Amino acid sequence: MQVYDAPLRDMRFVLHELHQDDGFGGLAHFRDFTPDLLDAVLEEAARFTREVLLPLNASGDAEGCRIENGMVYTPRGFQQAYDRFRAGGWCALANDPAFGGQGLPETVNKLVEEMICAANVAFSLYPGLTHGATTAIEGHASDELKQAYLPKLVEGVWSATMCLTEAQCGTDLGLLRTRATPQADGSYQINGSKIFISAGEHDLTENIVHLVLARLPDAPAGVKGISLFLAPKYLPDPAGAPGARNGVSCANIEHKMGMTAAATCQLNFDDTTGWLVGQPNKGMAAMFTMMNAERVSVGVQGLGIAEAAYQGAVAYAKDRLQGRSLAGAKRPDLPADPIIVHPDVRRMLMTIRAYNEGCRALGGWVARAMDAEKFADDPEVKAHAADFVALMTPVVKALFTDLGFEATNLGVQVYGGHGYIRDHGMEQYVRDARITMIYEGTNGIQGLDLVGRKLGAHTGRYLRSFFHPVSAFLEAGQDDARLGPMVADLKKAFGALQLATGTVAQRGLGDPEEAGAAGTDYLRLIGLVAMGYCFVKSARIATERLAQGADDAAFYKAKIDTAAFFCDRILPQASACFLAIKAGKRSMMALDEAAF
Amino acid sequence: MADAPIRKVCVIGAGVMGAGIAAQVANAGVPALLLDVVRDPDHRNAVAEGAVAKMLKTEPAPFMSEQAARLVEVGNIEDHLDRAADCDWIIEAVSERLDVKRSLYARLDVMRRPGVAISSNTSTIPLHQLIEGRSDAFAADFLITHFFNPPRHMRLLEVVVGPKTRADIAAKVEAFADRMLGKTVVRAKDSPGFIANRIGTYWLQLGINAALDLGLTVEEADAIAGRPMGVPKTGIFGLIDLVGLDLMPHIQASLQSTLPPTDAFHQTVRKIPLIERMIAGGYTGRKGKGGFYRLDSSRQREAIDLVSGDYRPLIPAAGPSGPAAKGDIAALIRSPDRAGQYAWAVLGPVLAYAAALVPEAADDIVAIDDAMKLGYNWAYGPFELIDKIGAAPLVARLEQQGLAVAPLLMLAGQRSFYRVEDGRRQYLGLDGGYHDVVRPDGVLRLEDVKRATQPLLKTGSAALWDIGDGVVCLEFTGKMNALDGEVMALIGKAIPLIQQSYKALVLYNDGPNFSAGANLGLALFAINIAAWSEIGKLVAEGQAAYKALKYAPFPVVGAPSGMALGGACEILLHADAIQAHAESYIGLVECGVGLIPGWGGCGETIDRWVKSGRLPKGPMPAAAKVFEIVSTATVSRSAAHARELMILRDGDAITMNRDRLLLDAKAKALSLVDGYQPPQAPQFHLPGDSGHTALAMAADSFHKRGLATDYDLVVAGALAQVLTGGAADLVDPVSEADMLALERDAFAARVRDPRTIARIEHMLETGKPLRN
Repeated sequence: MQVYDAPLRDMRFVLHELHQDDGFGGLAHFRDFTPDLLDAVLEEAARFTREVLLPLNASGDAEGCRIENGMVYTPRGFQQAYDRFRAGGWCALANDPAFGGQGLPETVNKLVEEMICAANVAFSLYPGLTHGATTAIEGHASDELKQAYLPKLVEGVWSATMCLTEAQCGTDLGLLRTRATPQADGSYQINGSKIFISAGEHDLTENIVHLVLARLPDAPAGVKGISLFLAPKYLPDPAGAPGARNGVSCANIEHKMGMTAAATCQLNFDDTTGWLVGQPNKGMAAMFTMMNAERVSVGVQGLGIAEAAYQGAVAYAKDRLQGRSLAGAKRPDLPADPIIVHPDVRRMLMTIRAYNEGCRALGGWVARAMDAEKFADDPEVKAHAADFVALMTPVVKALFTDLGFEATNLGVQVYGGHGYIRDHGMEQYVRDARITMIYEGTNGIQGLDLVGRKLGAHTGRYLRSFFHPVSAFLEAGQDDARLGPMVADLKKAFGALQLATGTVAQRGLGDPEEAGAAGTDYLRLIGLVAMGYCFVKSARIATERLAQGADDAAFYKAKIDTAAFFCDRILPQASACFLAIKAGKRSMMALDEAAF
Repeated sequence: MADAPIRKVCVIGAGVMGAGIAAQVANAGVPALLLDVVRDPDHRNAVAEGAVAKMLKTEPAPFMSEQAARLVEVGNIEDHLDRAADCDWIIEAVSERLDVKRSLYARLDVMRRPGVAISSNTSTIPLHQLIEGRSDAFAADFLITHFFNPPRHMRLLEVVVGPKTRADIAAKVEAFADRMLGKTVVRAKDSPGFIANRIGTYWLQLGINAALDLGLTVEEADAIAGRPMGVPKTGIFGLIDLVGLDLMPHIQASLQSTLPPTDAFHQTVRKIPLIERMIAGGYTGRKGKGGFYRLDSSRQREAIDLVSGDYRPLIPAAGPSGPAAKGDIAALIRSPDRAGQYAWAVLGPVLAYAAALVPEAADDIVAIDDAMKLGYNWAYGPFELIDKIGAAPLVARLEQQGLAVAPLLMLAGQRSFYRVEDGRRQYLGLDGGYHDVVRPDGVLRLEDVKRATQPLLKTGSAALWDIGDGVVCLEFTGKMNALDGEVMALIGKAIPLIQQSYKALVLYNDGPNFSAGANLGLALFAINIAAWSEIGKLVAEGQAAYKALKYAPFPVVGAPSGMALGGACEILLHADAIQAHAESYIGLVECGVGLIPGWGGCGETIDRWVKSGRLPKGPMPAAAKVFEIVSTATVSRSAAHARELMILRDGDAITMNRDRLLLDAKAKALSLVDGYQPPQAPQFHLPGDSGHTALAMAADSFHKRGLATDYDLVVAGALAQVLTGGAADLVDPVSEADMLALERDAFAARVRDPRTIARIEHMLETGKPLRN
């Protein structure tokens, strides 16, 4: 039995307490959303995910999607759940009210996303992609397209896809072949075949809107010749309702390791009518608006699944009786102690817990910046927030999913053999989480993005948005005895990050392969320091709250304990990352290709 | 007579060229007499006077200093031609009309002293036509000296001698032009347009034609025929704007009338209605209402549409892509896109043309390459460009298109026009053999040393070379010759080596700029990652390295040319002497990016002013003077101006010819070797708190008048703190070490200020200071 109850107390901590001094807060745009109102939204989301989505997670996984005559059917219960989801207004939490959205801050939206993914990540893909697509349409499409499509998408009666991948082109979109031919009426005819299209065909909405990357006839070769098109499954009739069937069809759905309830489709475009979104040959820019937003959301998927795994593992570790505590029996009244008494089980549980709280805290910071990037009044704050989001997007994507996957494996490990069988639902988390490290740009690509595009850009300006707050925090906190060795631990890790940053920047200038060789380790290193910063800051706030005699002392005490665990047992990995980076590419590239 | 030195020069014709030449003579410290016609009977010298007055307001300034301006004496050719007879060289720079020139020569022929050199600055008229009808004696003293505009800054001087010109007269003029006027003399034959303008005019015409034929915008054309070819970014159309559209038809007509009918030039000449309309409408370029480019009423840049003839907002062109964008010229002309087509359409014919001009216009290829590099600021001469493409592939493509192939190109065959043999650069001669490229006496280029030897020491950003006679040269090698920890490391290693095995050190490099100072990019990156201790370390290391140079037991001579800013100025301030190229732009510019000089510049500058004897006694005047100069980030406009700023002291010297700088600096260093004693460490008597208050008040008044921003005031305050000795008590002298500590503290505080960071970032991203 899978269990999940949204960690509302920690979410409220991240939302209201942790980041208040980060310079991104106090946005006038959100002044109507009082903390009480936001808390109520979170509570309602927690209830919905627990009651409606969680029960369909295991059953949906067991049943999977099926395709019959080109129609794709989602597992039992998904349609009803989606209808309730839409009716509850969850589709459009953070969308622009101008198109029917609720205009909530991203800080709340990301927490709700986490809940949805924890309860049923496969379900999350159906509305999730729609959210990304609305971002691209809002940012780049003509007013005509916006008016015709955004209200329906925001309301959730229609859904959307991102059609990038083709058989011969995954990471390297320059190889893309799908073609778009201009028509006399200003539309385009699209021809080609796409694979791995999440929610490309399903039975949840009355129409599906595809955002398709394709080449115009005179387009330059490579990524500079790609344009973005919008092509619906049904062409809207004059009243705006789904009309004639468009020339896009689902040829097949993939048989996957996990996320079986999410339809991954092969789509054929045959003289499909579509419209250009944004400028000709600038499709990558438009797509990246969507992709960057999606990358953060995929990171949140990793975190959500990891939280579900944590809760499952904790429940089992308190319940399962095996052996006795090494320090002497803790429950002599029982035939054995619950396994949570064992240090190594503790290690696993604490690790998952620390990952989850660290990621949630960092994610909350990035979400605040996403809000400030859009809505801050001060252009300097806006620019600073944009820098921070640009820097942290690959970190959130890769770090959260790497750690999320590790967390789900630890969850299985806590269960022992019972984790490996299907009954408890723990192995599903492993299978579901695995894809998050791959799609929306593999985690290797995230590392490349970080060292190649983010680290050196504008002489390191993006880095400043992160390094300066950490540096200032360390300087201000170095005499804070209440935090014990935590500040010193963070300082050491930060020093390793500074050195590694200089090393990567310097070597990468002369030899791009050196940067490429450092990407993954560097991303982990900055991620560890970012989580460490969030933890030490959390611990400082918790210490202050305890000193003030706060009501929920247990929460704050647990926060300090978790922070201490992170600093003791996880943050030291920063040194190892630094050493690996320092070693450079040599041994990585030395082996002759034939020797593999 | 021919042995007598040139003590005074007469320039006749006070147009832009004549006046500029007179100014450059004066810049060399030699009196100049500038004559022109009488236009106003009441103000008979008005034309020449007006020319001098105009030059005092011109940017870039023709005069290097105010003293130089006072060396120009004005007059008119009706009343004062006799004074020309007192001069040792008469330069004619009147309008390009043969009759005008001939009648002037006739008058000069009567009153001149035999043996006085007479030269014409003509750009188009052949020498044999100029001296027609003149006596043999006149012809013996006559030559053409063709300067380029502006005469102060363009280093090329084309010299043409006739069959009767006396060798010693030519040699005297050439030596003066070289050593005093700083020119590189290139001997040209008496053929139309000489070298640079003949090739340059052909090139510009090709550039216009090809842009029209291929349908390129002016921006696109200039983005191809500019930087990617090693040509200034003005490219084709920007350059025509600079020289003036109206000048083009003149030069063209002249070349058309004088070049043989077989010359390829004739095929390029076209009537271009747009250009004719532009000239007629006063759109003659930068000096007129605008040219191919202009600024609109709100100072936004616009360009002309070559088809419609209308101005429209500038559309920045991307230029070539791939290796072609990075200076691979072979790849550029090979590329099948429009950039490649345009590049070939311009470069192919012009290289073929240049190859046909030896020996018609010049004796060897070196003269042709020098002329284009120094007269048109090309990074590579035509033959150096051919070597990048390969003579054989060039010939193949020319033949394929039915274009004429000069014998010289065939002679080269599979060989290159230049090669390096035993560390010596050699060029391909008309005899088919290679010959050494010989530098004139007294010219030493570091590149020659580097070709022939290995560095004594080397780090990532600097190298140490043995330049002979016990003197070593420290060269900066980083991007823009920027200074960083690697430079300081080299200084640290160099000092014991020199002490042990050499006599003296020269700080010099061949680049157009000595150094723009500390590596700001590196600093900004360190700032961005909050590496405060690293930044502090770099400041301290720089201070230590510079002081070690100052107190080293051997003489150190700084030899700047071009920019020497910030940290580069500071290293010069620590040298025993400076031998500066006349075109040296030196200054402590740190305040401009929100910093203060941190490598000892504050103390060294105060010490210079205290010891200058130019200021009243007491602790305040020097601090105030330095504050005035440094807080405004003043940069010298020339080496002469640097002397006024006390960057150059008595005993420091100026070299007019860039090519002679290294050898002059070496000689200066050797002159200091005997009995060399390192300087004594100064003790500073500084005004302390009260002085600080006074300087702050001065800055405040600037601020109140809107001349300084809020943050300028903060930076000036930090500078004042250092210059007045911090909390120094008037009675206690401040040591050099104290001054360095004050610099470090002030620097560390400023570098963390977001407003300083914004300034540095803006400077790096835009190249311009941010006034925040």
